[in-house]
Amino acid sequence: MKRTGILFFPAFDWSLGDSHPEREERLLYTQEQLFEEGVLDLPQIKQFSPRVASLHEVLRAQALLPTPWSQTDSLDAHLIAAGSAILLGEARVRGEIGNGFVLARPPGHHSGATVWGNRGFCTLNNEAILVNHLRAQLGIKKIAIVDTDVHHGDGTQDIFYHDPNVLFISLHQDGRTLYPGTGFVNEKGGPNAWDQTLNIPLPPGTGDEGYQYVLEEWVLPRLRAFAPDLIINSAGQDNHFTDPLASMNLSAGGYGRITELLQPDLAVLEGGYSIEGALPYVNLAILLALAGEDYHHVREPQKPERPVLSLAPLKPYIQGLKQQHQTIKPNFTIQNKAYFPRGNWIYIPHSVYYDTEGFQESRHDYIRQCDHCAGTVYIESQRLSSLQKSSLVRIPFQACSECEQAGYDLWDHLLRHSEDMTSGLLQNQLHDKFFVWQRKEGLTQF
Amino acid sequence: MSNQVGIDVGGTYTDAVFIQDGHIQNTAKVPTRSENIVETLMEAFETLSIVEESSIDQIVVSTTLVTNAILQDRIPPVELLLFSGNGMRVDALPWPVGYRELSGEIDFRGREIAPPDQREWEKLLQTIGLRENPAHVAIVGKFSHRNNLHEEQLANYLRQNNSSLRLALGHEWGQANFYRRSLTTYLNLGVSELYQQFALDLQAAVTARKIEAPIFILKADGGSLPLAKIRPIDSIYSGPAASVLAALTQNEPAVSSIIVDIGGTTTDIGLVLSGVPLLSSKGAQIGPFSTLVRSLAVRSIPVGGDSVIHATDQGFSLESYRLGPAYCLGGNVPTPTDAMRYLGLIDYGNEQLAAEGLASVLPQEQRTPKFLNELATAVLDTVVDRIVEAVDSLKREWEEEPAYKVWEVLHPHESQAFHTLVSGGGARGISMALGKRLGTPVQLGYLSEISNALGAAMARATFDCTLHLDTYMKQYSVEETGEQGKWTGSLRPYLEVEGFLDALAQQQAARSGIKIQDVEKEPFDFFPIVQGYKTVGQIVRGAVHQRPGVIGRVSV
Repeated sequence: MKRTGILFFPAFDWSLGDSHPEREERLLYTQEQLFEEGVLDLPQIKQFSPRVASLHEVLRAQALLPTPWSQTDSLDAHLIAAGSAILLGEARVRGEIGNGFVLARPPGHHSGATVWGNRGFCTLNNEAILVNHLRAQLGIKKIAIVDTDVHHGDGTQDIFYHDPNVLFISLHQDGRTLYPGTGFVNEKGGPNAWDQTLNIPLPPGTGDEGYQYVLEEWVLPRLRAFAPDLIINSAGQDNHFTDPLASMNLSAGGYGRITELLQPDLAVLEGGYSIEGALPYVNLAILLALAGEDYHHVREPQKPERPVLSLAPLKPYIQGLKQQHQTIKPNFTIQNKAYFPRGNWIYIPHSVYYDTEGFQESRHDYIRQCDHCAGTVYIESQRLSSLQKSSLVRIPFQACSECEQAGYDLWDHLLRHSEDMTSGLLQNQLHDKFFVWQRKEGLTQF
Repeated sequence: MSNQVGIDVGGTYTDAVFIQDGHIQNTAKVPTRSENIVETLMEAFETLSIVEESSIDQIVVSTTLVTNAILQDRIPPVELLLFSGNGMRVDALPWPVGYRELSGEIDFRGREIAPPDQREWEKLLQTIGLRENPAHVAIVGKFSHRNNLHEEQLANYLRQNNSSLRLALGHEWGQANFYRRSLTTYLNLGVSELYQQFALDLQAAVTARKIEAPIFILKADGGSLPLAKIRPIDSIYSGPAASVLAALTQNEPAVSSIIVDIGGTTTDIGLVLSGVPLLSSKGAQIGPFSTLVRSLAVRSIPVGGDSVIHATDQGFSLESYRLGPAYCLGGNVPTPTDAMRYLGLIDYGNEQLAAEGLASVLPQEQRTPKFLNELATAVLDTVVDRIVEAVDSLKREWEEEPAYKVWEVLHPHESQAFHTLVSGGGARGISMALGKRLGTPVQLGYLSEISNALGAAMARATFDCTLHLDTYMKQYSVEETGEQGKWTGSLRPYLEVEGFLDALAQQQAARSGIKIQDVEKEPFDFFPIVQGYKTVGQIVRGAVHQRPGVIGRVSV
């Protein structure tokens, strides 16, 4: 029997604030619904209990800035959500389960390669930490992440933007109408991972039919072409027609259908803040679909009030978007600094807004162009309106020897001539070793 | 002075014990006549020959009456009517009994989503002949533990049409799980008449002996309740619970132990953590029925002193059945008991016969002391393997209990220093090998042959009162009794809710006829209910427990 794992971690004693959407109550009614239905009594369902992720596991995917220990006070709940994803992912890879649902909070997909704090309710990127764990520890090579949260999965995109072995697909409400305001078709990946990021911004009002159309027309063929070892679904639930923060029109049944079409190895809860009108039903539908049970009788009591965008105008819109996507060609700027190791370094500057605390991060990303591997990544990050400035040096999984050496050289330079730097992380994914350097504390290995 | 009588009705024998101030005075063992359990009980009682019966303070009975009625399918038909609403298909789960689905839906907050349809009820009366027959009807609604409206409405309707119906409503099992609530309601109603007759007969028989001591029945969770107060279904699986309690009477309080009770064909294994037996995280499973009955986490494995040893190409296999007594005790097949005898670990049974029995498993040329010794050791190792496997699975159940709060994950169960308490017929023979494998000190239980009666006699009442309060809906409910009521307190109660729960618990204990002294309070969980960034109320969860345990230690 193909078993379905569930890791239910509602964090009933944790919130981002009394009346914050990310609060204790968020999965309370989901628990009531799942337990009352007796879903855990289904013979194919196996429940797992959570574990805490280590900082080593976190640093494999993300740089906690300025240092990991500056953030650990507020990390507990996030570390459990990430650890839970790892635990269930391991169970999947070991064949203990056929698929699984990490029904944990807090969410993570807005959290990127550099983390100065919480943004979009996320501090740690659960899926990214999971993905890199499976690659480092369980020999998985190619993973696809399909983000069906209504918001663009900008954090996940940021972490894997230069990684040719991770295909990231995000379907979301058009960034011109919703946080975080990114996720357009021209964001297609870095120089060494061109076309491994696919963004499909959807117009407000898209419903069940529209979603199914986009999946069948665009997402599934792309997935088949990539042929991943594992598919992970960032299963945000804020496309539901009752969601208070977004304007889409999916039903619980529509989420069941998405799950059925994607056949993810793992679904990981992201956002979704209609905690009474949507979550109990959407979570039930997703879990039933994963378990191969009929989800068509799951029906939310409310009816959609927003106008549903019908398929007739949506089809040509999507086709146009697809064409536009195909015509976009890489256009990168090379910027080699004097102390950079040999090679051509692509320069991508951008900035990131942290809405929870209200500050801006300024990023200067440099990627070593490489035909053999994902390429060394060097990021300078500054938390604006503070004097703190940090660096991330990444030696990627399966790095070629030149890129590996480039990483060491950059790190060496950082340690010797970094008058303006507060701290740095050497993220050596190749050898699974992570060093944090800080001006006062010196070097610490994680 | 405190005088306790404990009686355990087992499958083959009924055991009894009389304890005075923690000292065992008399014991008795009589064959069980399952067709007349009351007579069996009185016979066991008689055999105890207690001098001054009027001085008995309390009688506790552990009986298989309900367990057997269910397993042997001796319960009258019950009409099961479900308000199943939307959600998972009802038939996604295996239903061992038939049911009818009716319209009407309640949601997780107890709000009515869709009203029932009276025309369906009218049709029901006609089609299944509920108008005249004194039938049994169980009515269960999804989320009825949050709002029993539909169940009550239908019950009233049926009562008006036929006052002879025996009705049971699902919300009285106030825990979540519609499927288990339905089956539990069904079973409890199904066995209620059988149990009531038993209770009447037993009370009459005891009263006839001029004994005024109250009679208690042992429950699956190791607690006891007065004969007239217990819900019959709660009496299933009291035997294994009794054997865990028996171990507690011989333990230092607050130690952690692995309890192993080795019988002829079955070994029961339980876990005690800092003096408290581990409860199963799911309700008990009985035959094809998944229930909400709270029970101790006990593993019963089909291996014991009389399990048959078969010769195979690879050597031998240990079977899960028994074919009479051990070879050394005059039986026809070799068993682990023969291995114990051969190795000199036990002193009963014929040594020569033990060797003979074991030799029959070996090829002709290997029937020498060297090979016999190896074989006997390997047999006992296999028994130990099976037991250790079950112990590990029990420990895993404990360690892997789901956690829903950050605090729980950051404070996992501390690994405990266990010791092992072995009782039962095969205890002496296996204790050394078991202690070595488990890496714990091993203690032998005494009075193995009446240990379940001992456990029953010393059982303490268990008590649980779990409150679910929704101040916005102004509703509260109690899991254990299914009581539902109106909340008139504040929207954000804090100290108020503590007093409220204390009062509820006192009421409930009084109603069940038990005293609560050693109550443990779980910290409350508060869930602010927010609408549009405004806090409009709270959901509060809290509970008090009196954990399973014994009223004292016992010595011979």
